[in-house]
Amino acid sequence: MKEKFNNFNVRSFISANSVPILFIIICAVMIPLSGFSFSYLINEIMTRLGRNSFLILSLLIPIMAGMGLNFGMTLGAMAGQIALILVADWQIWGIPGLVLAAIISIPLSVLLGLLCGNILNRAKGREMITSYFISYFMNGVYQLVVLFMMGPIIPIVHNTLKLPRGYGIRNTVSLLQMRQSVDNALAVYVGGVKIPVLTLVLIALACLFIVWFRRTKLGQDMRAVGQDMNVARDAGINVDRTRIISIVISTVFAGFGMIIYLQNMGNFSTYSAHTNVGMFCIAALLVGGASVEKASIGNVFLGVILFHTMFVVAPSAGTKITGDSMIGEYFRVFVSYGVITVALVMYEAKKRKENRTLGRQLAIEQAAEEKGETA
Amino acid sequence: MKTSKRAWFVRIAAVVLLIVIGYIMSIIGRGHTLYLDNKALDYEGQHYDAPYKIGIYVNGEQLTKLYENERSSTTCLGQTFTVTLEIMETKNGTEVTETYKIPVPKDMDNVIINIPGYLAGLPQEAYIDEFVPAVTDDVDDEVPDTSDDGVAIGDI
Repeated sequence: MKEKFNNFNVRSFISANSVPILFIIICAVMIPLSGFSFSYLINEIMTRLGRNSFLILSLLIPIMAGMGLNFGMTLGAMAGQIALILVADWQIWGIPGLVLAAIISIPLSVLLGLLCGNILNRAKGREMITSYFISYFMNGVYQLVVLFMMGPIIPIVHNTLKLPRGYGIRNTVSLLQMRQSVDNALAVYVGGVKIPVLTLVLIALACLFIVWFRRTKLGQDMRAVGQDMNVARDAGINVDRTRIISIVISTVFAGFGMIIYLQNMGNFSTYSAHTNVGMFCIAALLVGGASVEKASIGNVFLGVILFHTMFVVAPSAGTKITGDSMIGEYFRVFVSYGVITVALVMYEAKKRKENRTLGRQLAIEQAAEEKGETA
Repeated sequence: MKTSKRAWFVRIAAVVLLIVIGYIMSIIGRGHTLYLDNKALDYEGQHYDAPYKIGIYVNGEQLTKLYENERSSTTCLGQTFTVTLEIMETKNGTEVTETYKIPVPKDMDNVIINIPGYLAGLPQEAYIDEFVPAVTDDVDDEVPDTSDDGVAIGDI
């Protein structure tokens, strides 16, 4: 412990945690400017912690398997939405409706995860950009299913869900009868702050699953694959299969996460709710101090707290500073995309630096060998 | 990699378990909107009068008080609607309170329950009817906007 303290280097600590530190400063400046009360902010953060954490946790396993940030989690979100549309049409309400939606989302998520994982295995080293475009491609398929197949092929009975033309789903799906049913079950109020106990229990279970999974044989294999695919292959690990499993688990988790997220919202935009999910989850994880190759459960919670505090206070602080709330809205969008870009650039720069160092080391070793031979 | 018989058994058992849980959820979570009527009813040539006033209590809380020819609505999960009725047959008469478990058909979303018919012990088809909402031509949503301008991300 003492040795650890003695080895502590402020510069390296700041450089390793530059993004969270930057966001702590941003929040520290913006919170007083926003004028929000402490209890309001805590309430908002608690709501968002319950709403988003499960989704963000779904990103951890692909990072462990060395596949970077899984932009393909959008596929799981689509599966969750399709399941919710079906459950809403069957009029299954409350927690049973959400459980049924989660069960229905599993086979859809598994299928989409298998598809995504197989494609990513054909694009090794370019997983993030590939998964990003898979999500665009699948968005088209999702629209085809929801806009044209729901009604004539997939039975949808209720006119409240169907478009007036008789097929396809309306722009907004109401989840009024499921709204916050998980959040309100076992909820406790502490000093005016609502704590959604059941939602937090579900998130804790997901965390426990990840901790347990890391210690299993498959989890160890994933870490080995994440460190070096060639070494893992030589050690007898089926690299492709391991990578596919990591994407399937991530997609299934994303489906569950989207159901938890949407039950909190109480309705969703059928054609666009899933599109930004990947972006803001990845941004939150990166804000929490994760990188493309390393992320922990701690990063998830720190990220949700910092990113969403910024998200809550930015419009109000923007209004106070500039007199225009849209400035705050633009700011948070700019930060969300910006933090992803910076993380990707930093990752690439670090990789290049490592390669350069490795190259230099090799050159020195080679020169030493040649010197030895001539001598 | 060969999958063992045990692994296949575990997988099949997991799938069966999920199907069973899903089925149970679809039964216990089936939601209905109930319309409770306090209206007189004619059935098989017999006339059944509506009480003067019915106090309706759901989950220990008073939902409403229904006078003759009035209607109220509530929601119910599952196929049994448990309700406590406080019935006053005539004005200034005595109130009789009793709890009833009214079976609700699974295939109906919006159910009209005629309370006088139910209290008279008539068969289900006499006191239960389906409420079919009138279809209105909405102007919105005809062509959903599937484009994403990518500027504002709204509330997350």
